[in-house]
Amino acid sequence: MDLIDKVKTKSNELIDRGLNRNVRIAVTGLSGAGKTAFTTSMINQLLQAPIEEHLTFFSVNAQSRMQACKLTQHQELHIPSFDYSGALTHLISDSPQWPESTRNVSQAQIKCRFRVGHRWIKKLQSDSTVTVEIVDYPGEWLLDLPLLAMDYKSWSKACIKYLNSERRKQYTEGIQNKIRAFDYKSLQDETALAKELKGVANEYRASLSSYRNDYNDYGLALPGRFILPGALADAPTLDFFPVLNEDLLSLDWEQFEQNSSLKVLEKRFNYYKEKVIKPFFEEYFTKVDRQIVLIDTCSVLESGYESYQDLKDTVERLLEGFSYGRSNWLKRLFSPSIDKLMIATTKVDLVPPDQHSAMESFMQKMVAQAKNNVGYEGVEVETMAISAVATSEPVATEHEGEKLLCVKGIEEHSGESVIHYPGRVPSKGLSRQEWNDLDIDFAPFAIPELSEDEALPHIRMDKVIEFLIGDKFI
Amino acid sequence: MSDKPVKFYTKDKAHKDAEKLLEDNVLGDSSGSPLTESSQNKPLLPESAVKVGFKGNKAKSWLRKLFWPSLSTFIVFAAGYEAYGFVTELIETNWLLGAVAGLIASAVVISGGFALFKGWRARRQFKKREQQQATLRRLLSDNSYGKASQVLEEVTHDIEEYVNVTSLENDFEKKKQQVHNDHELIQIYSGTVLKGLDKMAIDIVTKHASEAAAMVALSPLAAADMALVAWRSSKMIEQLSRLYGCPQTALGRFEMTKRVFKNMMLAGASELVADAGVELLGKSLTATISAKAAQGIGVGVLIARMGLQTMHLCRPVPFGQENKPRLGQIRKSIYQKVAGLVKTASTGKSDKSKDTIEKKK
Repeated sequence: MDLIDKVKTKSNELIDRGLNRNVRIAVTGLSGAGKTAFTTSMINQLLQAPIEEHLTFFSVNAQSRMQACKLTQHQELHIPSFDYSGALTHLISDSPQWPESTRNVSQAQIKCRFRVGHRWIKKLQSDSTVTVEIVDYPGEWLLDLPLLAMDYKSWSKACIKYLNSERRKQYTEGIQNKIRAFDYKSLQDETALAKELKGVANEYRASLSSYRNDYNDYGLALPGRFILPGALADAPTLDFFPVLNEDLLSLDWEQFEQNSSLKVLEKRFNYYKEKVIKPFFEEYFTKVDRQIVLIDTCSVLESGYESYQDLKDTVERLLEGFSYGRSNWLKRLFSPSIDKLMIATTKVDLVPPDQHSAMESFMQKMVAQAKNNVGYEGVEVETMAISAVATSEPVATEHEGEKLLCVKGIEEHSGESVIHYPGRVPSKGLSRQEWNDLDIDFAPFAIPELSEDEALPHIRMDKVIEFLIGDKFI
Repeated sequence: MSDKPVKFYTKDKAHKDAEKLLEDNVLGDSSGSPLTESSQNKPLLPESAVKVGFKGNKAKSWLRKLFWPSLSTFIVFAAGYEAYGFVTELIETNWLLGAVAGLIASAVVISGGFALFKGWRARRQFKKREQQQATLRRLLSDNSYGKASQVLEEVTHDIEEYVNVTSLENDFEKKKQQVHNDHELIQIYSGTVLKGLDKMAIDIVTKHASEAAAMVALSPLAAADMALVAWRSSKMIEQLSRLYGCPQTALGRFEMTKRVFKNMMLAGASELVADAGVELLGKSLTATISAKAAQGIGVGVLIARMGLQTMHLCRPVPFGQENKPRLGQIRKSIYQKVAGLVKTASTGKSDKSKDTIEKKK
């Protein structure tokens, strides 16, 4: 009997290992896209799934094969845990708030026990466990990823283009002049130079931060740790800025002396790349199987042509990093093994349901090229319009004698029940003129009263979960 | 529709008038029934868009069409005339005899008319189902919203007439959300209501197929085999079509049977290739049992395949790749049935007595 038991446990282990029932999901997205809300909702849906069986499109749940789920401690003990209960408390408290934005990397691990469905495997083991790991981290840091492929010179060139756009010019004019006047050839005492660099870098950071506060868009000119330094606040490696003199950029930098200020800046940039960005992504990307990229299409639509172009550019660069071709630098560095990628547009609860498809196809057009590249590498790519925590419900009303589908929710500042029609969401890319004519307004709703005992209201989270981890529950 | 963003506060009339979308058909009103819409916008139908083929010879087809109705009218007319003459003749001979004959004749007319009417209705229902299938298939590929619920309600209504699906429907109502688009809604419907029906349908197919297999394995006459197959298969088609809410009667069933056979020959060909491997393996097994049993199994598989084709024809939403019913399971139970029969037949009574003794112990 003992022997039989042993064989049984061994075979179970073998099956689990053979089928690889561990999934590590990276939640990626720029800041404000709703990563924390997504992670919270995903954990919540999974925890509630065996009880409520509400995830219609999550096949293992629809077939009632889900038995129990629980949050457990993850293996990578040096990564902080995702504060699920804290985030949930924020959502369901008397004056509900969105969970605080992520300030550091964190990880959650859920174990799901389920009955095996496959008719052959069923004969060997009756039930099994899938371990789902979700990694959350500040979206600001993601902007660092494209930097890995650049050197100081090409980064500076990219910055010139970025800083001189029409909208940003008024914010950056002062600092640009200052940087241009900077003496790159000077050979100074180290401490004096460090002080001077810090002064300019601080000003550079401040001007872009104030721009970012007004417009909330993303670009390469501002490395992630500039915005959210984490443990690196005040570290000298962050005290650098791009070279903005065109003539200097066309020179061969070999002629500069090692301790000239230009070389010092370059050294800091390289140090930042090698010692800050690389270790972070190395840890972050190893063993990641599935990835979800969240994009806040609503705010892009609201803020117009320029941020659309910026975001498109950034997303393309990001996904370029994720296309895992043979010659790809990311692959060489971290050898990730992502086999499924979902690009989701979040916050569709602000959009009437008949326009969800338009929203999705608009986003699809935006990422089409990048998506194509990733798909070419054999990664399964899917796009979807989702809402991690739905704050509204669709209603139909009459407006100017016609039926109009709207969303109903609670207005954020007044607390009043309001029905909102955001305007016609475009379903394809727009020309500059069309962008100017676009009249659209997504008013965010306040979070309605939520109950702790019920799963958070959502839109299509079940489909997302099915896509990301559904195939592991066989 | 307005393209500008609007906000309605509690004091606005529109806010008070707003209907929650949970009650369906809110959208359907303005666009009209999607069914009628689809029949008007013929080009939207995938079939007509995709079909490439010979142009119909209009005059010829019109003349051809005329043949059967005119022939049948002629026969009915002639028979009626003859019957009238026959009855009046009988009345002249003896009024009682005539009255009885007249009564019988009128009974024939009434029942025949009723059968004709039912056949016509069944045919119409089948046509309607085909249209529903086309609409749902179109909605599955479109990115539309708010059009499917009306069609699905219609389908549920049709099914409810013959089968009690309340619990399945409740499940569907529970699972659907207002935000689901047509594609998702149809998928949920297929996964709840129709999945339940599929299970029952598979049971029916299994039952009829294995029964027919057993009967053919036992029957000594080839002619009886044919009759058996015809009887069992027609019974099965009747039950299956009833289950999916488009019951077929004698006349309609003929049309249906024709379609089933046609599909089996056309669509079945590809399945045949896929099944060939398994069937070859099966043959070696059947050969060892006996020729007659093999015949029985062959007939059983044939009927099972007919049943599956009927399911394909009657199901409002086409099967997906993952929920497609497979012949494998049914074949297994057919084998078991026939093999069990052969075993008991060959080992005879001694085995049975042994069994009873063992049971007593």
